[in-house]
Amino acid sequence: MAFFIASSPHNHIQAETSALMRLVIMAAIPGVIAQWYFFGWGSIIQICLAITFAVLAEITFLAIRDKNIKAQITDFSAVLTGLLIGISVPSIAPWWITVIGSVFAIMVVKQLYGGLGFNLFNPAMAAYVMLLISFPVQMTSWQPANELLTHDISFFNHLWLILTGYTWEGFSVEQIRMNIDGITMATPLDTLKTDLTLGLTVFESISNPVFGENFSVGWEWVNAGFFLGGIFLIAKKAIDWVIPVSFLTALWLFSFIAFSLSPDSSASTMFHWLAGGTMLGAFFILTDPVSAATTRKGRVTYAALVALLVYIIRKFGGYPDAIAFAVLIANMAVPLIDQYTRPRTYGHKGAE
Amino acid sequence: MKVAIQNNAKVLALFAVACTALVSLVSLLTKDTIARQEQQQLLSTLHQVIAPERINNDLYQDCQFIKDEEYLGSNQSQTAYIARMDHVPVAVAITSVAPDGYNGNIQLLVAINVDGTLSGVRVLKHKETPGLGDKIETRKSEWVYNFNDKDIIDEKDLRWAVKKDGGMFDQFTGATITPRAVVNAVKNTMLYFNQHQKDIISNTTSCRGQHD
Amino acid sequence: MTERSEYKELSWQGLWKNNPGLVQLLGLCPLLAVTTTLTNAIGLGLATLLVLVCSNATISAIRQWVPKEVRIPIFVLIIAAFVTCVQLLMNAFTFGLYQSLGIFLPLIVTNCAIIGRAEAYASKNPVKPASFDGLMMGVGFALVLMTLGAIREILGQGTLFDGAELLLGEWASILRIEIFTSDTSFLLAILPPGAFIAMGFLIAAKNAIDSSIAAKQPKAEAKTIERVRVNFEG
Repeated sequence: MAFFIASSPHNHIQAETSALMRLVIMAAIPGVIAQWYFFGWGSIIQICLAITFAVLAEITFLAIRDKNIKAQITDFSAVLTGLLIGISVPSIAPWWITVIGSVFAIMVVKQLYGGLGFNLFNPAMAAYVMLLISFPVQMTSWQPANELLTHDISFFNHLWLILTGYTWEGFSVEQIRMNIDGITMATPLDTLKTDLTLGLTVFESISNPVFGENFSVGWEWVNAGFFLGGIFLIAKKAIDWVIPVSFLTALWLFSFIAFSLSPDSSASTMFHWLAGGTMLGAFFILTDPVSAATTRKGRVTYAALVALLVYIIRKFGGYPDAIAFAVLIANMAVPLIDQYTRPRTYGHKGAE
Repeated sequence: MKVAIQNNAKVLALFAVACTALVSLVSLLTKDTIARQEQQQLLSTLHQVIAPERINNDLYQDCQFIKDEEYLGSNQSQTAYIARMDHVPVAVAITSVAPDGYNGNIQLLVAINVDGTLSGVRVLKHKETPGLGDKIETRKSEWVYNFNDKDIIDEKDLRWAVKKDGGMFDQFTGATITPRAVVNAVKNTMLYFNQHQKDIISNTTSCRGQHD
Repeated sequence: MTERSEYKELSWQGLWKNNPGLVQLLGLCPLLAVTTTLTNAIGLGLATLLVLVCSNATISAIRQWVPKEVRIPIFVLIIAAFVTCVQLLMNAFTFGLYQSLGIFLPLIVTNCAIIGRAEAYASKNPVKPASFDGLMMGVGFALVLMTLGAIREILGQGTLFDGAELLLGEWASILRIEIFTSDTSFLLAILPPGAFIAMGFLIAAKNAIDSSIAAKQPKAEAKTIERVRVNFEG
């Protein structure tokens, strides 16, 4: 079944929706492998959970809405939504977090708006924001990278931790997150933010072990993995290169301006590129053909707007990472952006 | 035309007068009750931090304005309420501000016994993240009761910090900035009290504008 | 129309068919902002109801003396006066609730449902039906507030009637019902986005009920269609 999701000239491969979705899913593999290598089996378990429940929710609601289940489930869009949720939730979050998120994404954000192609918001990001503001404690409990851990956790222990909140040996999530000094470790973005309110400078803050030798232990490689997948997608012409390029350039620009104005209280440009969900957002979330802008000029504006919001929210906001909030706000601006950047039809006069 | 405008203006004025009269009447009738309610509200908060059995003076009247940007966290005047038993001072309740919360100011009420130990702390107003930083409220968590009976030696007292910084107070899961700000503000208020105890207690003018 | 059927129609309009909260979507700001607990919802619902009945009755009573050109400023004056009175009374007798409703109590003035009813009904009808209309619209609005408040309180805190003593006095603290206790409450329900989502589901439920009722009565539907055709052919 051909399912045209964006107004075309920009959709370079005239393939079916399912082929596009499969390509995107495949491209996420390097990033997922990096996540598995640095943060253990937890993220793989979360991804499986999220995909399973996203697909189950999709089948249930297609059945309720009397739609052709087989045709719509094989377009793999629910699988992709599940995959993105699984990647975004902390790898040691309890199982019900992932389940609630997946069901919310499919049921409320996608099917209630009319299914694929009609959703105003990116389902995975809307679900992530819903989870973050509802369960902030669980959603900010990222485990530190394996090499910083005092306890080694196996696959079985990860599974047990997600299902019951304790490892098989009885360590709680809190204990897992502690380093040798008994201090709970946060993600690099979070640590930096906390340290800055303490009056430390960025330079003093990055001596913390979570930042490692470069920018952030583990996270930099996860971001590199998603970057690799993104390049593959652009090479295959599955996504428009304009969006990630505009987004990353704008984010670089904003963090560079801030860094040159006040180097003590602003993180470096590379830190913003390689921490949190920057690369995942740039190549896999912003490029969602349904909720992004459709025209070339519109896409540049849209991606730059997200970058500005990401920077502002990371710097001044109440929550550590900002990709999801920024994407949702920009999603709302998309109809307006499209309205003002509509290309001139050949033979007609320009905008009045 | 002119007549119509004049008539309309008259009707409008009439209604304005009537409505104002109604509001003034209700205001007059409820004024005393409202003042009493506000007083009671304040007293019930004060009684949470200083047990009512310990005092027999009029806490509402026995108050004064104090100001110290460095120790009380705000350039606005704060209020100190003095609790006495048979004219002997028992404790002082001071409003103060933690200026470095995660989302701006946190307003506190800190009650300190005359021997320098804490009688109790309550958060009056805050804007911290729901679910993370709002555990400083008594309805969400027992955390703020940890302050009861604590004392302070001097400015360099290392116990006055959250556990993450090597002190004696728990931080919250996922939120360190909020408890850190509150601990710091309470510490500063106690230091202020230790420096100014004599002045505060010997003061006899009431912040309500009347003398005892 | 006989008097009885007039009242019946007014109730039907206020409580269901033209409900100010669910259908006219008036007064959404207080509706969404204060319904974090059932107690808050009841408090604001009663305050709005009181203002609505008083303003409808007054405006209907004076309707002969109000010149058409200046009616809107006069309506606003009257409504503002009643809101201020209600605010003062609540400040005096339900101080705790007054504080938890905060700015949304004076904001009743801006609730379009009130001036809407004054303009659309009270200024054209006698005092008795006008007051009744105010009562029914107020009850309809209060019911939506209470439903929303109850849903959000149960989901977000696992309780019902939390803080009822603020509204009804000390004895009412026994009304508090603990439905479930959990360390991790569903915060979204208490936050503003949760209000919008819950409101959306309420409206959807109302529409679903309406369409299932309509499906059961196909005959009444057919009649109106016939009349349209006659008009066009004529």
